[in-house]
Amino acid sequence: MIELFNWFRRRSLERALDRELQYHFDHRVADLTAAGIPEPEARRRVGVELGLAQVREEIRDVWLTRWFRDLLYDLRFSARSFLRSPGFTAVTLLSLALGIGATTAIYSLVDQVILHALPIHDAARLVLVDWDGDQVGGGFGSWNLMSYPMCRDLQRQTRFFDGVLCRAEIDVNLSAGSDPKPVSAEIVSGSYFSVLGIGPALGRVIEEPDDAAPGAGPVVVLSHDFWQTEFGGAADIIGRKVLINQHPMTIVGVAAAAFHGVDIGAVPALWIPASMYAQAIPGAEDLLRSPRFWMQILARLRPDFTPPQAQAGLQPWFKAWLQDNMLRPGFPIISADRRREYLASTLAITSAPQGHSPLRRGLSQPLWLLFAATGVLLGLACLNVAGLFLAHGSARGREIGTRLALGASRGRIGRQLLTDSLLLALAGGVLGVAVAPFAIRALIAFLPQDLAPSALRGTLSLRLLAFTFFASLIAGLLSGLAPALHAGGDSLVSSLRERAGTGFGGVHLRKCIVTLQVAFSLILVIGAALFVRTLAGLLDKGPGFDTSSLVSFTLDLGKNGYSAVDSVRLIDRIHDAVRVLPVTRGSGIARNELLTGGAWNGDITIQTDRRFTTDRLVNLNAVSPGFFATLSVRLLAGRDFDQRDSRPAREDGRACAIVNEAFVKRYLTGHDPLGARIGEGSGPDVKPDIPIVGVVTDFNYRGLREESEQAFFPISDKNQDFGATFYVKVRGTPEQAFQAFRGVVRNADPQLPILGLRTVEEQVTRSLNTERMLAALSGSFGALALLLSLIGLYGVMSFVVTRRTREIGLRLALGATRASALRLVLRDAITMIAAGIAIALPCAAALGKLVQSQLFGVTATDPATVAAAALILATGALAAAFIPAWRASNVSPTDALRLD
Amino acid sequence: MPSPRFPIPQGTLDMLILQILSLEPAHGYGIAQRLEQISRSVVQVNQGSLYPALHRLEQKGWLRAEWKQSETGREAKFYALTPAGRRQLAAEKDSWARLSGAVKLIFEEGSR
Repeated sequence: MIELFNWFRRRSLERALDRELQYHFDHRVADLTAAGIPEPEARRRVGVELGLAQVREEIRDVWLTRWFRDLLYDLRFSARSFLRSPGFTAVTLLSLALGIGATTAIYSLVDQVILHALPIHDAARLVLVDWDGDQVGGGFGSWNLMSYPMCRDLQRQTRFFDGVLCRAEIDVNLSAGSDPKPVSAEIVSGSYFSVLGIGPALGRVIEEPDDAAPGAGPVVVLSHDFWQTEFGGAADIIGRKVLINQHPMTIVGVAAAAFHGVDIGAVPALWIPASMYAQAIPGAEDLLRSPRFWMQILARLRPDFTPPQAQAGLQPWFKAWLQDNMLRPGFPIISADRRREYLASTLAITSAPQGHSPLRRGLSQPLWLLFAATGVLLGLACLNVAGLFLAHGSARGREIGTRLALGASRGRIGRQLLTDSLLLALAGGVLGVAVAPFAIRALIAFLPQDLAPSALRGTLSLRLLAFTFFASLIAGLLSGLAPALHAGGDSLVSSLRERAGTGFGGVHLRKCIVTLQVAFSLILVIGAALFVRTLAGLLDKGPGFDTSSLVSFTLDLGKNGYSAVDSVRLIDRIHDAVRVLPVTRGSGIARNELLTGGAWNGDITIQTDRRFTTDRLVNLNAVSPGFFATLSVRLLAGRDFDQRDSRPAREDGRACAIVNEAFVKRYLTGHDPLGARIGEGSGPDVKPDIPIVGVVTDFNYRGLREESEQAFFPISDKNQDFGATFYVKVRGTPEQAFQAFRGVVRNADPQLPILGLRTVEEQVTRSLNTERMLAALSGSFGALALLLSLIGLYGVMSFVVTRRTREIGLRLALGATRASALRLVLRDAITMIAAGIAIALPCAAALGKLVQSQLFGVTATDPATVAAAALILATGALAAAFIPAWRASNVSPTDALRLD
Repeated sequence: MPSPRFPIPQGTLDMLILQILSLEPAHGYGIAQRLEQISRSVVQVNQGSLYPALHRLEQKGWLRAEWKQSETGREAKFYALTPAGRRQLAAEKDSWARLSGAVKLIFEEGSR
């Protein structure tokens, strides 16, 4: 540190040293002359005695270590030479800043979504406990689902775990003195906060007694953010009563500020103990004792076990547990085959320092893909800068030659060139960091909107800065390496003999670089083409129903305290009101919203001339009469539901069912589907007695990519159908319709929140967020890559042409045609382009396997796409090469020959 | 003809400088003269190498420098020992004593 300080005050240090040495010199000379030695002789002797030049140099080394001093001189020299050629500097700086900025932005998301450990005590010991095999029995929620009793049983395995927690993500209606509004929450076991090691910022967190028995803990803990935004950080928040789904509960605390739950994609506003499941999840049956799967289990591993050891150690216990679990009330009756599969299940224990997150599951691959793409882009930028440096180096050939001739070592000059590129790269890095927050925010805008703003941040962290620094350093080394090595290898004599502007070529090296650039950018262009085609294909295909003028909104009455019967009654009333609105052209209701990624599904038992169970889950929905017509889904056979179907005479069960084409194709080929009967579930006790009354064309339920077998039941009050999504075909603008619907719902129940009011087209767009992100980003990366390599190609071709001007002039003078001169130059370019393509194609084919799962309607090696990408690249590249070639063919022989 | 004076052993110059300055602050030329006197022409100190050593010791914080008027009336850079320098001198003296003691012991052993 003091050394760096010395660098800045080196002038005053030097002056002081001069004075000090001068004093010694004069004093010594005076002493010697006093002893009778003549002054000139005394001066000579003292000069020899002191060895001033040597001493000064040694003292400078004391002030500042030699290599460091050289580095600082190099940096100063580099900075000065850059300022002298601003055009060159701007282009290289911009290339690097683009590459580094893009990489930083994507890395920020990779870090936040995939890599970042939870901000809890010793996150490395957190593991996810998951079921590997046939779970048997229903559930709700998504991914890694387990039952509450299982969590309780695991808590007794203290040999392996210091603690076990379970949690589920839910939505509740919260009213704190005003109208209820939907908020996301986490319903958790009493061990949740203690296992994670999270304390309160205020009051207390949820503790074991809150979760001791059903209804034991009517308490909630707020997240710090929610406390700040909703309650203005009120200090007297503890003890306040709020209504959760119309049930009174008490706020007992606020969780620590940095903690946002265990799922990065679902940031809870509050936590509720699992004992309050009946209030938090309307219509749920005895979740604390039933074997239903609805929670994720996380555990803190004891320090002396690794996840595989714990996994192996727990299997015997799990085998016994599986047997016991079959005796639990509510365990379904299953066939012998099914039981064998169930009993063969194992427990999977995986390290989960980042918690549990379906978002991570969905985004991991796209993000890594984009990260790899930006890596390639950064590589391209480095190559571009290396090429520019070589060109710049050739302009500086005489300077370098002169320095070599004056005794500079090649190593020293190489170091200077490397310093050049490092300085540039670091400056590029700074520029990249400056634009990164904007880029990150733009990226987040591509992610599913409802979760991104709360979960992901566009700010720069220390980790991110460290990453950018290393990325810049590597970029600097990579782009400086070729020129530096090159400077070490050229002959001194030839470089001095050649004229400025032509010498110190490195044409070979530059051609290699351009070839690589062509290859890299072709890979990116192919990737971009594939993702753009995927998005276009999905948009073109659509969801299988007509989305124009279609508006949807969702009501969830269970959370406002309605019983199932009242829910269906109110929904009917609202539906009647909607139907007669002037903006309504047609309307229908579905129990589950479409295109949200989720679905209600289950096994179906089918009775034709034999009885069998579906071999995979069938997506289920309950819909009202007119639903299919509203979506313009064609009825292929039979009839639609009617009002009688919704009010069945029977006590429970479904009156009838409609299935889709895919269902018929998979299970009912050769039968009349209208004669078949089906039943919900797979056990021997299932009665397949629901008649199929209609068949509809296929349309998408979870998302646009999915093709599934579907079955529909009429909505009825006998089946716990609490909520409903309205689909309305409207007249006029959607905004007018929104207004009208809000009015209808407010009339029916002013307390009822209206959810997800939007056009279905918007919902389609939302469901394609990931695809849109991949297409837009890979598209822009591809375009940037193309631009960079074209600049590179143009640069090297211009250089070649300048070098060969004399030769071409000679040829022309000797009778060669202009066309042949053009060919001569273009041949070079074509070789590079062809070689680049030849390198890229096998690489793209190999990489294709990695992206295949992200594609739709096109294979990764689709010949048309690859050919089109290669064609775009080749055309662009030829155009870039043509300009210098044209110039060459227009050389006037006399001018060219005079150029000597 | 071999010189009657032998070059100063590596590392001892720093110790000698600290020792000289422990008596009173002095400027470079003064230190050089004191060295000359102490060593009584036995140890040969290159006058030039004195200055890098002084600057090194100053950078380490063992010496403090100050411009003051010298005996000739001109400004000279006077060096003085800092507390850290004083501690360092004590430590070096100590280890020197141990080293020379050990060497002496070995020599006596050999001549017995």
